[in-house]
Amino acid sequence: MTSTPSRPNLPAIAGLVFWIGLLVWFSFWMGQQSFGWLPVQASSAAPLVDGLFSFETAVATFVFAGVVSVMAWVMLFNRAAKYDISDAEPIEGNTKLEIIWTVIPLLLVMGIAYYTIDVNRQIGLIGPMDHVHGDRLASDQQPASGAAVAPQAEIEVIARQWSWEFRYPGAAVSATELHLPLDRRVGLQLRSEDVIHGFYVPAFRLKQQVIPGRSIAFFLTPTREGRYRLRDSEYSGTWFAANQVDVVVQSETDYQDWLRRASRLPLQPGLSDASREYALRQSRTRPSGYATVVPAPPPMVNVPGSNTLPHDG
Amino acid sequence: MTLTPASPDPLSGLDQNAGPTDGHASGHSSHANHSLTGFIIFLCSESIIFFAFFTGYAVLKLSSLNWLPPGVEGLEWRTPLAYTAVLVSSSGTIALAEWFLNRGNLWGFRAFWLLSMAMGTVFLYGQAVEWAGLSFGITSGSFGSCFYLLTGFHGLHVASGVLLMGLMLIRSFRAGNYEGGEQGVVAASLFWHFVDVIWVLLFLLLYAWPA
Amino acid sequence: MTITPFDPGLSAAPTPQPKAPNSWKRYFSFNTDAKVIGIQYIATALIFLLVGGLLAMIMRGELITPEADLVDRTVYNGLYTMHGTIMLFLFMFPVLNGLNNLLIPCMIGAPDMAFPRLNAAAFWLVPVFGVILMASFLVPGGPAASGWWSYPPVSLQNPLGFLINGEALWIVAVALSGVSSIMGAINFVTTILRMRAPGMTLFRMPIFCWTALSAQIIQLIGLPALTGGALMLLFDLVVGTSFYRPEGGGDPVLYQHFFWFYSHPAVYVIILPVFGVFSELFPVYARKPLFGYRFVAMASLVIVALSLVVWVHHMFPSGVPQWMRDLFMVTTMLIAVPTGIKVFAWLATLWGGKLRLNTPMLFALGGLFNFVFAGVTGIMLATVPVDIHVNNTYFVVGHFHYVIYGAATMGVYAAIYHWFPKFTGKMYYEGLGQLHFLLTFIGTNLNFFPMHPLGLMGMPRRVSSYDPEFAFWNVLASLGAFLLGVSIIPFLLNLVSSLVRGKQAPANPWNAIGLEWLLPSPPPAENFEENVPTVISGPYGYGSGLPLVEHQERYPRATDFLATGQA
Ligand code: HEA
Ligand code: HEA
Ligand code: CUA
Ligand SMILES: [Cu+2]
Repeated sequence: MTSTPSRPNLPAIAGLVFWIGLLVWFSFWMGQQSFGWLPVQASSAAPLVDGLFSFETAVATFVFAGVVSVMAWVMLFNRAAKYDISDAEPIEGNTKLEIIWTVIPLLLVMGIAYYTIDVNRQIGLIGPMDHVHGDRLASDQQPASGAAVAPQAEIEVIARQWSWEFRYPGAAVSATELHLPLDRRVGLQLRSEDVIHGFYVPAFRLKQQVIPGRSIAFFLTPTREGRYRLRDSEYSGTWFAANQVDVVVQSETDYQDWLRRASRLPLQPGLSDASREYALRQSRTRPSGYATVVPAPPPMVNVPGSNTLPHDG
Repeated sequence: MTLTPASPDPLSGLDQNAGPTDGHASGHSSHANHSLTGFIIFLCSESIIFFAFFTGYAVLKLSSLNWLPPGVEGLEWRTPLAYTAVLVSSSGTIALAEWFLNRGNLWGFRAFWLLSMAMGTVFLYGQAVEWAGLSFGITSGSFGSCFYLLTGFHGLHVASGVLLMGLMLIRSFRAGNYEGGEQGVVAASLFWHFVDVIWVLLFLLLYAWPA
Repeated sequence: MTITPFDPGLSAAPTPQPKAPNSWKRYFSFNTDAKVIGIQYIATALIFLLVGGLLAMIMRGELITPEADLVDRTVYNGLYTMHGTIMLFLFMFPVLNGLNNLLIPCMIGAPDMAFPRLNAAAFWLVPVFGVILMASFLVPGGPAASGWWSYPPVSLQNPLGFLINGEALWIVAVALSGVSSIMGAINFVTTILRMRAPGMTLFRMPIFCWTALSAQIIQLIGLPALTGGALMLLFDLVVGTSFYRPEGGGDPVLYQHFFWFYSHPAVYVIILPVFGVFSELFPVYARKPLFGYRFVAMASLVIVALSLVVWVHHMFPSGVPQWMRDLFMVTTMLIAVPTGIKVFAWLATLWGGKLRLNTPMLFALGGLFNFVFAGVTGIMLATVPVDIHVNNTYFVVGHFHYVIYGAATMGVYAAIYHWFPKFTGKMYYEGLGQLHFLLTFIGTNLNFFPMHPLGLMGMPRRVSSYDPEFAFWNVLASLGAFLLGVSIIPFLLNLVSSLVRGKQAPANPWNAIGLEWLLPSPPPAENFEENVPTVISGPYGYGSGLPLVEHQERYPRATDFLATGQA
């Protein structure tokens, strides 16, 4: 390493090439595997996110396996002999190497960044996930030209401690189960009545904080029929864990049909595991645990839905 | 070993290639120039709290629609400006006091030192009068919260500054104490300049920035 | 640069042990000796590691089944909040400050810290706020339960309405912790800048001092912002102001900025000294100089600069505009570059070395393994669309435990074993040490790896119950956690038994280079006292035969390696 060898060390170069080839192959394979670690893809954003994740998995595997294989090599082949207390060859550094391993990671991460910004832009076009504005802005300020074509939000999402309520003002329907039409870009208007909650549907790969005092428009395009989980993703207090409901994606006709039938159903208390558990807790003579915020009463809705049906993701 | 007199550049260790050469005498807890280095580091760090409050104020103000509480038109700025002048000029008097100390004129030092303390106290008095006359409180929305937090936190610093200076004044009566310079005096006056600069920024933010 | 003439032979003489009260009592007093304070810090921190770990064991017990059955939900929320808080503010920061206290003065040849009394005061604040935090378990309403971030408005909800409540105590404790850390930081920075031995230029300092300096600079810049933000939170909570309350025109997201402006850089406060430990240990146990010393030193400062401009990556889903997301993603990813420089420098140090796999080296290697794993998942988190999916899921919990337990805590273990003989004067038991390593390494991976698939599948963090499809990986994680609980036993056993009846340690059992190894074990109260040696070469002269200081031959020699049972 210190003295530049006059003749190239062929076996070493062959070994290096073989090693890097092996790493590349393994990384590529891991990148392919990564799709299987994620929930089903149920929105137009999902394939984009998964593609990016697959790429990152490949790069990460390359870096991690590369480092670990060097560690394994030195631990196997560069051990001091049992009674050897001498020092090794004092190599202090090598500027060329330093430059190489500064530039390669730089290129790798900038490559990832470039890819990511592209995905960001595409997801932004399908349905901006950061289309955020305060109440007041929404009323008096026209959205920027790109967003002018965006449909008005047709579903109101109200987050509470601890329930979700979905209102379809056009159809005069409310529910504690979110129904969405397939393959159409829908707008949701997110509001919170108390603390910050998080609107998160893993199968959609989308998430947005729901911040009290703001009204946040959020667009998405479901692409797969089925029943999915919507989870509160921003810690919201005692029953945070139980603040989950189902999302049902159905064809446009089924969706319209559901809206029509739902509007005829009488109002009844919606799903709220928190209220149920709170009542149970209060019924005990000595309630266990620490003090808690009292859950908001379950919203009155046409369709309560269910929390126990099997779901696809 | 005797302590070397304070180095004029307390951060000189930064650009010196070699470490300090003074050997460590038994009482190394009293390396004077270390204390000043430490104090300057502390001031830099402390300024960030104010910086945090300033940005908080700016963010809240910029994102708010009705910033002032109902019934409040704006802050009266003329009287505070007068008190600002008092506080800022006390930076001059304290510098004079130091100048006298360097000349070995202890009584000149004490006079101007005391004057600076008095000016600080006048400023605090003005602050108290202003607080007493305001129509809004700390719980009147974000503006009230910010106003009292910023002026109160700064006021605490002024008060600590006055106390610190009082301590140094008392120390000046210990025989032979200030021969060859006194780090405590340098530190107190640095602190005082710091408090003044912060106030000027604060004044601009609170009184000069139109609602 | 003149130095006081003295007879260099003096320092070689077997320690004129100072008359310091050598009894255990000094560890319970307001002692101003950095080495006593260092041990006080480490002992206190390890006690809180047990407390924080115990809470984690209960949490993992709850999470071994999908239902919320072991503890009430309110209790679970209090548990993880206190777990995070205790581990960071009462274990991690104190243990690192302990290492700073032990190592910095010895490594730079100073007799003590620049401000010994400030130093002691900073330490004694730790038990004070520790007690305040623990007391919150006893107040009506229970401890703080809004996560270690304490985001408003949840943190402002005070169901019982008492003025003294868990959340208020939490804020006070965290603020005091900040005060203590700032006091410490002023001390460390001043000491490193002003009290180096003659001839020890900045570029002859051991890397540990570079990383400590960098980390403490972060503390000085970041902590005041957190303190300011926390003060406003306290006012909102107990006075009723509206900094963050939406009803009064406040902005809850403003708090998130304050919090992460400090708490992101805080993770580098943790990892930088651990990078320092790796940089010290690899040369010793590979018998080679640190590769690219200057690059490694400067990379720390680059990390400091970058760490201050990445905080928004914790807030991607909170409605920040797209340009901000892109900007902060890029700055975050850039951190991989200086970090990579360090990682590759360590690998190059190991390459072609003569490795000796004893306990400290095993922990350092294991820590490096876990760190790189955590680093690449960190890069995934930095990319916005992927983070949007896994934010606030167990993927994040997996990422940070890999780095905070797998790399940082293992690095701390490595440091404790490596410098144990130096500062206690006793050798530890190698067998127990290796057992500790084995259990820790397996436990860490078994515990924290399963969190990644869980997060990818969409399991949120901070939940006391979860959907049944997550059960499989959670069982594995809990088993790993219990294994980690067991792994502590050989560690404690080792510490106690070697302190009581361990073999006497020579001055330099590892044949290591560095000023601290020129001192007797344990070093006398004032280290070199007046006879500070003059440093004449860089810190890692392995294999080069260069002496580190003038008159090196007069110091105790590396005592025979073989006798200390190494192979
Ligand atoms: C010591 C602690 C520590 C360290 C060192 C790091 C290091 C990093 N962290 Fe981590 N992080 C935490 C502790 C830490 N983190 C904690 C506690 C949280 C959660 C807090 C909470 O929410 O409660 C968190 C959360 C967190 C998030 C927020 C996730 C979310 O909440 O949604 C993100 C996002 O960007 C992130 C990214 C990173 C990155 C990019 C690094 C980088 O510094 C890593 C750099 C290292 C490498 C990349 C490996 C070595 C490099 C090479 C071998 C070169 C080649 C590499 C490439 C080309 C990729 N971390
Ligand atoms: C330095 C920091 C640190 C360390 C070391 C650890 C260590 C561990 N952590 Fe921690 N953790 C955090 C910092 C840390 N954690 C933070 C910041 C959070 C986020 C909190 C939040 O969301 O707000 C978190 C959250 C967190 C969660 C997520 C909770 C949730 O989101 O719901 C989990 C779950 O498994 C967990 C588990 C563990 C485990 C099993 C360990 C193990 O490594 C612990 C190993 C245990 C020991 C080594 C000691 C064993 C003790 C005994 C066997 C008992 C003996 C005791 C006595 C005699 C008193 N942690
Ligand atoms: Cu320098 Cu004590
Ligand atoms: Cu971060």
